[in-house]
Amino acid sequence: MAVVEHGGKSFEVDEDGFLADLDGWGPEWVDYVKELEGISELKEDHWKVINMLQEYFKKNGIAPMVRILSKVTGFKLKYIYELFPSGPGKGACKMAGLPKPTGCV
Amino acid sequence: MAERVTDIGPPKYDKFLPPVIKDNYGKWKYHEILEPGVLMHVAESGAKIFSVRGGSGRLVTTDFIKDVCDLADKFCDGYLRFTSRNNVEFLLTDNSKIAGVKAGMKKLGIPIGATGHSVSNIVHTQGWVHCHTPAIDASGIVKAVMDDLFEYFGSHKLPAQVRIALACCLNMCGAVHCSDIAILGIHRTAPKVNHERLRHLCEIPTTIASCPTGAIRPHPDKNIKSVVINEPRCMYCGNCYTMCPALPVFDAEKGGVALLVGGKVSNSKTPPMFSKLAVPYLPNNPPLWPETVKAIRKILTKYAEGANKWERVGEWVERIGWEKFFEVCDIPFTFQHIDDYRWAYDTYRTSMHFKF
Repeated sequence: MAVVEHGGKSFEVDEDGFLADLDGWGPEWVDYVKELEGISELKEDHWKVINMLQEYFKKNGIAPMVRILSKVTGFKLKYIYELFPSGPGKGACKMAGLPKPTGCV
Repeated sequence: MAERVTDIGPPKYDKFLPPVIKDNYGKWKYHEILEPGVLMHVAESGAKIFSVRGGSGRLVTTDFIKDVCDLADKFCDGYLRFTSRNNVEFLLTDNSKIAGVKAGMKKLGIPIGATGHSVSNIVHTQGWVHCHTPAIDASGIVKAVMDDLFEYFGSHKLPAQVRIALACCLNMCGAVHCSDIAILGIHRTAPKVNHERLRHLCEIPTTIASCPTGAIRPHPDKNIKSVVINEPRCMYCGNCYTMCPALPVFDAEKGGVALLVGGKVSNSKTPPMFSKLAVPYLPNNPPLWPETVKAIRKILTKYAEGANKWERVGEWVERIGWEKFFEVCDIPFTFQHIDDYRWAYDTYRTSMHFKF
């Protein structure tokens, strides 16, 4: 497993750049992923998505379905892609420190 | 994101049609198979198009693609297509050039055939080349089987077409569930649980829900965020590994091949059928999988001997009865053949009709 250093903190990541240790998440992680994901600056809406994902994961143990994410945040999928160009899975979940999406993606 | 182009879709198909096909689109009168691998379509206008079909390994290099393109440039004005079984077809209007195309294909090692009552290409999957959930390889077994059945590729000596498909795990990508003969990768051991990593890699509820037999439940110790597998309930489908990387299931020694027979997709004569289990397990034996190759040849030759003209494998088995099928193919009938999954009742014999 590779380790990345950012903002004075180090994060263990897998080959796709997802956090290998969920407990290692911190705001510095978001700042680090932001650059990889082509996001120039974090807006309030970005945080709304990240916080929703983290709360949902903490409560339910899974990442929400896209329709739930849309419904709770009030953001249409199109807008979520505007916020996170790689999409809700590779972009937002990675930033929120959730496990990598699995299945036949 | 600058200058990014999206959602343009594939190029329109008619851009690549030979002019003859474009001019006679939807106006074809009849077709003939001139010889194995060579078809002629005749349009109402009298125009003709000839197609020369050849096998491909599906997994090919760009060099191979360039080679077939060169051949198409030389004889077919640059026109070729790929079939839904990954054969390559050269399209030409001048039948005097067929010999040239065939010679060129021979030079490239492309066998000519796959028409009519033949064994066409094997629809197959990634195997050990690219996938992370396979129980068997794909390309390797396909090569071994096609080498053995090569005589049936470029000939029309079977009662009907025999479709062979391979899927390297129970996900059944492709057509194994509806093919005359299907090669399927199976596991025979339960996944091993990596309790330490599971919490970081997996969504536990999704993992539990992925199990068709309900064999997975949360770890009884509340402090360990993981799952346990009830092995007597596990049938080693590997679905949970698809959802959760901390549950690896592959075991090179124990995994292997299952053979299914009797599926079809067409509606001709009889409705489409699912393929059904014929051989529950054959060992994974690279690089030539001799047991698998032998078993397939046996089923195919017994079918070729016993079936009536136009009869697909499934229709033949239904006509002679499954007990007869196991008898003529010399396959031992085991408890694994008896369905025990949810709607199994319908597969039991509820009649006195039976051949000793």
